[in-house]
Formats: sequence, C-alpha cells, structure tokens
Amino acid sequence: MAGMRILLFSESDDMLPELLFVIRNLGGPPDKHISSIAISPHAIETATDCLALGVDEAFVVITEGTVSLDASALGAGLSTVTRIIAPDLILVGATQTGSEVMAHLAQHLEVPCLSDCLALCLDAHGGLLAERRVYGGRFIAQQRLEGRPLIASVPPRRFPRATRTHEPRGVITRLTEVSLKSRIRTRSVSGVSRSAVDITKADVIVAAGRGVKTIDDLSLIEALAHALGGVLAGSRPLTGDVDWLPADRRVGLSGQTVKPNLYIACGISGQIEHIVGMRGARTVVAINTDPEAPIHVDADYSIIGDLYEIVPAILEILEEASLDGTLH
Amino acid sequence: MTGTADIGPLDVLVCLKFVPDPAQLRADASGQPDLIQAPLRISNFDENAIETALQLTAQHGGRAFGLSVIRGRKPPPDVLLRALAMGLNALYLVVDETDMASDPFRLAVAIAAAAKVMREAEAVPLWHLLICGEASADEYNAQIGPRLAVALDLPAITHAIRIELERNLLIARRSVDGRCETVETELPALATVGTEINHARIPTVLQIMGAGRKPVREMTLHKLLEPDLDAMKRYPTLKTMAVFALPSTRKRILIDGGNPKESVNQLLTRLGADGEIRF
Repeated sequence: MAGMRILLFSESDDMLPELLFVIRNLGGPPDKHISSIAISPHAIETATDCLALGVDEAFVVITEGTVSLDASALGAGLSTVTRIIAPDLILVGATQTGSEVMAHLAQHLEVPCLSDCLALCLDAHGGLLAERRVYGGRFIAQQRLEGRPLIASVPPRRFPRATRTHEPRGVITRLTEVSLKSRIRTRSVSGVSRSAVDITKADVIVAAGRGVKTIDDLSLIEALAHALGGVLAGSRPLTGDVDWLPADRRVGLSGQTVKPNLYIACGISGQIEHIVGMRGARTVVAINTDPEAPIHVDADYSIIGDLYEIVPAILEILEEASLDGTLH
Repeated sequence: MTGTADIGPLDVLVCLKFVPDPAQLRADASGQPDLIQAPLRISNFDENAIETALQLTAQHGGRAFGLSVIRGRKPPPDVLLRALAMGLNALYLVVDETDMASDPFRLAVAIAAAAKVMREAEAVPLWHLLICGEASADEYNAQIGPRLAVALDLPAITHAIRIELERNLLIARRSVDGRCETVETELPALATVGTEINHARIPTVLQIMGAGRKPVREMTLHKLLEPDLDAMKRYPTLKTMAVFALPSTRKRILIDGGNPKESVNQLLTRLGADGEIRF
C-alpha cells in the first residue's frame, strides 16, 4: 500500500498541529502524502500555516460570509473535495462543528467513521484501529475501520502539537470547482466570551451544576473556590447559556479537560459529558442531594446533602480554622 | 403557498435510543461491561428531544411519534411505555435481529427507511420536523442527527438550545464551540437538542400504566431494508473488537456526619490528611 494519501481537516486552526502529530505517529506505510483542506474566508492563511507544519499540499476553498459556520455545507463541500483528490484517510478535528462536518461527510460518501479517537494506528492490512470511550466514558472500545476512505476524528487537546518545519516544501492549490451551499440562514452570531482564568491550569476547581438554582447563587460556589485558592467552573447546563458562565469554564466532553489536584463538584449529577472532563483530577469531592447521582461513582468523597447547606458550612469552618490560627 | 399562514398541525418524528443506564453499568469480573445487569433507559438527550416535540405540538397542534432501532436486548414494557407516557402518540420499534445497523452509517440508513414506512402507516404526508438527541449516552458519537439529515436530504440544525416555529420557518438558537448563533431554515428540517433546551417531563406511574393503551408497533430491520440488503453488506465496515473497563481509582467514601457541619468537618479532615488542603 505505497503512497498513502491523507487529508486533514479542522475548521479550528488551533487543531491542525494536533492532527499532524497524530498522522506522524500513525504507523502504516512510511511514504505518506499529507494534504490539508481549508474552507473559509481566510483559507489562504490557514493553508500557509499548514505548509509551515510540513504538509505536502494545502488545498483551499475560499468562501464568503457565514457559510463556513454551517457544518452541513462544509460536510457536503468536503465530500466533493474527497471525490476530487481521492484520499485514503481523512482525519478531522472533533470540535462540535468538526464532529458534525465528519458525520455529514461520511454519510455523503456512504461510509462509517470513527469519532473522538483516544488512540489511532494503521494496521498491516490497511485498516484503521482506534480506541474510543463508550458507555458513559467508563469503558474503552477497541474498534477497526476498513474500506476507503477511512475517516476518523480526534478530540481537541488530546494529542501534542506537531512542530513547525524550517523548510516548507508544499504547495497551495485552490479548488475553484467546489462551492458551498447552505440551507441555513444565520441571523446572528455572538462571539466567544473568555474568562480571565484558564481552568485547565488550576490546582483547585470548584464546579457548579444544575443544583445551583440562580445565577446569583454562583457567588456562593465562587466564594468556596476563592477560600481554597481555586477557580470556579461549571457543568454543561450552566455554561450552555452564555449568561451564567463563559463557555471556556465548561468542564466536559464539549468543554475543557481539567486535571486539578482537588475537584469539588457542587450539584453536578455526573453525566458522561461532564465526567470525561474531570476524570484526571487527583481527588474528587461530590456534594449532591441525590444519593443515586452517577457523580458519586467517580468521587473519592461524597456528601449527600444540599449544597446550600454544605457549602456555607465549609466556608464557616474554614473561616473558623483560619481565625483560630490552626490552619498552618 | 404565500408563507404567511401558520404551518398548521405538525407531524414530528423523534428518534430515540434505549441505552444501558451509564450510571448503573458495571464491569464484570473480566472487565467487560455487564450489559445484562444494567437497566435500559431512554438516552438522556433523547428525553429532551421528546419534550421538545411535545412542546411544539402542544403549541402548534399535531402529533409526535417515536422511533427507535432496537439492537440487542429489548427494553421492558415500563421503559417503552415511559416514552409514550410522556405524551408521544405512538412508538415504532425497528428490531435489528441480525445486527445490521452496527455502525452510525447503517443506523442512519435504517432510521431513514423506517421514517418513510412510518409515514405511510400513519398517513403522515410529510414529517415537518425530525428531532434527535445530539448524542447517545452510550456511544456518544453525535453522528446520527447529521447523518439522518443527509440520508433524508433535510437541512439540519444541531445543538439547538431554543426552537420556535414561525409559519414554515424553524428558528433556533444554538450553542456550539463556545459561540451562540440564531439560525433559521425552512421546514421540513431536522434538529438535534441537548439538555439546555428544556427539562424533560417525568411521567407518573399512572401515566405510564395508562400509556399501555397507546400503540407500540414493531418491524424487523431485515424486512425494512430487504431491497437494499446487498448494498448494506457491501459498504465498508466498522467492527468493535473489544470493550474493557477503565480502571477507577476513586475511593468512593460516603461521608455522613449526621448533620451538615459534622459532615463537612469529616470531609475537611480527610482532605487535610490527603494533603489536598491545609486543615
């Protein structure tokens, strides 16, 4: 299987170095022809970045307006690109948009695909082997994909970034025959609101979930975070609506993966979506009124109780301890 | 069509999946998931999908139907009836006896075929809206919604956190990759939803018992796909070779001091002993 042709796609420029790292560590035939595809108004800049990372050919489709936000249009466009350049393997960055683009692409091409792979390698028979989370993230499945093209995605920030090459040797090729058509009209887009803190670097995280009843009550959770020298984060229900917490404070599959020393989950039920993001914590505390909540399975210490009683009690005792001078 | 009148009574199709409850799924002695022991439930986002359909049909009139492809163990009656007790008009089960819909591509083909058969069976001229949970609680592929939109040639609005219908327009607010968008498309369309969009209603025991009068209809996938069986076999495949448990190192200690203050004291003492806080 000489000359394996590989195509990389991510609408997020951030992920392209990660995709390249995965490809360089994929095994299989040594002579790989690596190309990238950028479909956006700034596709040329993305392509230039890809060349700097060492891809052999950077394809571009230059679009206008908001059509490049529409995953279905991107997926259909990418299926046309695939028919033109006939790659053996397509690797996609699994942002939410990227995952959706891959689903559209693969269905247009009538093939299955592997999503959110934690590990990927090519086997001797041209198949793609992957490890993926299943059943609430508590199990790992080993799966094998065969056929052409092979399509897989990897989650953001799972893999290191490939380093840049000193001598880019690839070329940029514009695909003028590909155009994107969207059936979705965008009325408005509000940008990403960013926090002043990076929760992925925090030693202590106190996270709020649906058990927190009003936005004002978040100050209680934040007070605990401050008392412990940590930062406030949130589960999906509190960060899905931008008014409560910025999206970059979301811990979970569709948000950040965190590895603090101490993680205190307040009023968080513990859906897979969330657990996957905080599994790397050294010690996990769960405060939840529901003894059956799945969070307790993934906690070191659980208190079955109302966060509105428990959190103030923690603050009070910490304060007393500090006043008594026994803390040190 | 002037496009000024309301769309009128809606026909909405909700795709749902019965999954082994991830919270109750344990590994057996060999580290495999014990799928027999874990109770089946409606995948959580699919409950939000049902709720979305019920709210829209309550507002605009019309009917909401459920469709599920059953692979492996069939859910017990109370689990099936729960979907009907929430308010669906009927539930269709496509039984995959020969494990044909074993990957998201084939599953989307199966659901698309079933959606057409259901239209004939229920005398539905057109599915105005298909609603899926944005991902299933067991596989979490987030593939079926967009794949089904391709299979049925429908516009797809994913990750919707609010849905409104205005004449023949679907207007949605969606939250994706940290940005918020307001988008619109013409019906018929497909939408996927997560937990943000609503709180799914919890049917009472009486409602669940009463739902026994509503129809649950079964068909086999083999029969449904009969004309395309060869094609289904020809397509490339995705095979699962092994599934094993991630080792958990959590202590799982329940702290109960009898009252909040004492519980907190015990917690802080343990965290202090572990070196996580100074206490």
